[in-house]
Amino acid sequence: MTATMHEFRHSAFVAIEDIQLQSALEGATHKFGSGRTDALAEVPEVEAMRDHFKKVRSATLSQLAHHLETFEKNATAAGAQVHWAATGDDACRIVLDIAQRHGVKLVTKSKSMATEEIHLNQVLSKAGIEPVETDLGEWIIQLAGDPPSHIIAPAIHKTRHQIAEMFTKETGQQVSADDIPGLTELARQVLRQKFLAAGMGISGGNIMVAETGSLVLVMNEGNGRLVTSTPPVHVAVVGLEKLAPTWDDAAVWLSLLARSSTGQALTIYTNIITGPARPTDPDGPQEVHIVILDNGRSKLIGTKYEEVLQCIRCGACLNACPVYREAGGHAYGNPYSGPIGAVIAPLLFGLDKYSGLPHASSLCGACKDVCPARIDLPRMLLELRADEVEQRVLPWWESMSERAAAFGLASPGLFKYGTALIRQMQRPLAKGDKLNLPAKLNPGQSRQTPALAKRSFHDIWQSGELDNKNGGE
Amino acid sequence: MSARDQILNQLRSNERPAEHPEPWRSRRNFPDLAERFTQTLTAGKGEVIRAANFEAALNEIDTILHELQAKRVVVNDTAPLDGLDVGKQWPDFEWFVAGKSEGDIKSFCAGADVGLSGADAALAETGSVVVSSGPGKSRLATLLPPVHLAIVPTSILTSDILTWTAARQGQPGANRVLVSGPSKTADIEQVLAIGVHGPKRFIVVLYDD
Repeated sequence: MTATMHEFRHSAFVAIEDIQLQSALEGATHKFGSGRTDALAEVPEVEAMRDHFKKVRSATLSQLAHHLETFEKNATAAGAQVHWAATGDDACRIVLDIAQRHGVKLVTKSKSMATEEIHLNQVLSKAGIEPVETDLGEWIIQLAGDPPSHIIAPAIHKTRHQIAEMFTKETGQQVSADDIPGLTELARQVLRQKFLAAGMGISGGNIMVAETGSLVLVMNEGNGRLVTSTPPVHVAVVGLEKLAPTWDDAAVWLSLLARSSTGQALTIYTNIITGPARPTDPDGPQEVHIVILDNGRSKLIGTKYEEVLQCIRCGACLNACPVYREAGGHAYGNPYSGPIGAVIAPLLFGLDKYSGLPHASSLCGACKDVCPARIDLPRMLLELRADEVEQRVLPWWESMSERAAAFGLASPGLFKYGTALIRQMQRPLAKGDKLNLPAKLNPGQSRQTPALAKRSFHDIWQSGELDNKNGGE
Repeated sequence: MSARDQILNQLRSNERPAEHPEPWRSRRNFPDLAERFTQTLTAGKGEVIRAANFEAALNEIDTILHELQAKRVVVNDTAPLDGLDVGKQWPDFEWFVAGKSEGDIKSFCAGADVGLSGADAALAETGSVVVSSGPGKSRLATLLPPVHLAIVPTSILTSDILTWTAARQGQPGANRVLVSGPSKTADIEQVLAIGVHGPKRFIVVLYDD
């Protein structure tokens, strides 16, 4: 999937027409947004805490190699095996290799944007290994074959009726769509058997803590504990930027993460993993592998886009974004949606493929206001737009028309004759003071472009009519 | 060149001096830690039962296990329960003591009605209980049964996650989890449902010591 200008517009208009999706998006983003406001308001000196966190993230990225090496050293000392993956394909190969070495046939997974990013499930399935998503929302979209539509709530685009139908198809059991606890219980029973049978668990990671070589996973359902405790092998795939040098840094990170995300002070479970089970532990995995994923991240360090790596994937910017709230996650054509997705997808996966995303913003700045790390997303959206022009990513006719407009607007004479020409040319399309543009130029047809007025303001001003009307001097 | 070197070299080529800020310290000062803990955990659908002392706490556990009509109970062999012969104390139930009982702990936990644990620490601000792995401390005991029952002395209460991490000592064990309520989800139409994968009830017996 990609999201060029045309593709983004097309999917956004499909989403806007979908009344059910609109109400789901409005409900979820409003609930998360107000939950965030209330949760942060309860924290003493929270604005200063956010400033502090910004400094921590920025300082960490400045010396990321050093911190990653410390993490590797301490995680290894605790018995974990650390792997490095330059690309998504490399990461998939590493995970697949571990699975095959253990003869694994069934894998349970907890929610991970990094494994969505590298399409790990497809790779495992192709190799005859069944990956089962166990976060309820992720399981729902896995059954539906859909990509996630929100970083935190991946299945907000699905109704209870669609979910009940899929569950019945999957399990053979009849269940009422109006019985949400019943649907949840059914998922619990089915997935519990998978947890107990799986040969390997795969997770993402919210934070790697260098000081102790620990991996932190946050969740509400408990599936991330089951994935990392029940099978004999646990593999985590983590983006290299998710690093906290110390536990003091991790504590601030955790203080802001759930509050910004779901409006909780902490998620129900904050799961900290430091190596595999020790010989005296009654249970726990025998092997823990941590795959540190680059996939285009390291080359952003030291550039004008480095700041995007400060992101902790809370999803607050999605909830605050007027474009996301209408367009939904799927229009972004990749697992990362909303303002953060609009910046990160072009950077990680190619500006040419995601050329529509830097424009999927009104530049209102709401995303920057709610970001726990105060990431300046609007600035980077503008930088990406400039890059598009420089790299000639836009179609020729769009560049040409932009250039012609720039040329015309720079000269009063050209502007006068140009607008006079358009006044004549618009006649067949003008209806009253509106233009009826063809569908291609006005996708969605939900708004009408105003026609140029019969006389320009300049013309009226020059004629002196205004002086008379207003009584003049 | 290995992927590791390739990545680290790329990062190092843009490394710059940076001053890491001094740690952010907690601004909290709760007048009554137990009160705040109880309020927050209760609001998060957890249950808190207060007891005047350890003896009273054991009586509360007895009442809860009977009320739940529990048959099989798995217990972590850790403070403050480690000195106790649970089989003698509560002969009505079939017990599995982590690290001591014979048999497969995973299959016992999968069929158990209650998992009973102690705690390393409790955070007042967020109503969280910290449970660790270690000798006699099972991860599955507090995860697979439908009820997680934790016995917590008020002396291990601390303000928040910032004060907890500030007091850290030594290297942690394989697993440490902050539990702040029963397992929950809102993934179906944003409707809250309790007990999706982890315990459906999280009951803390908080006693003064």
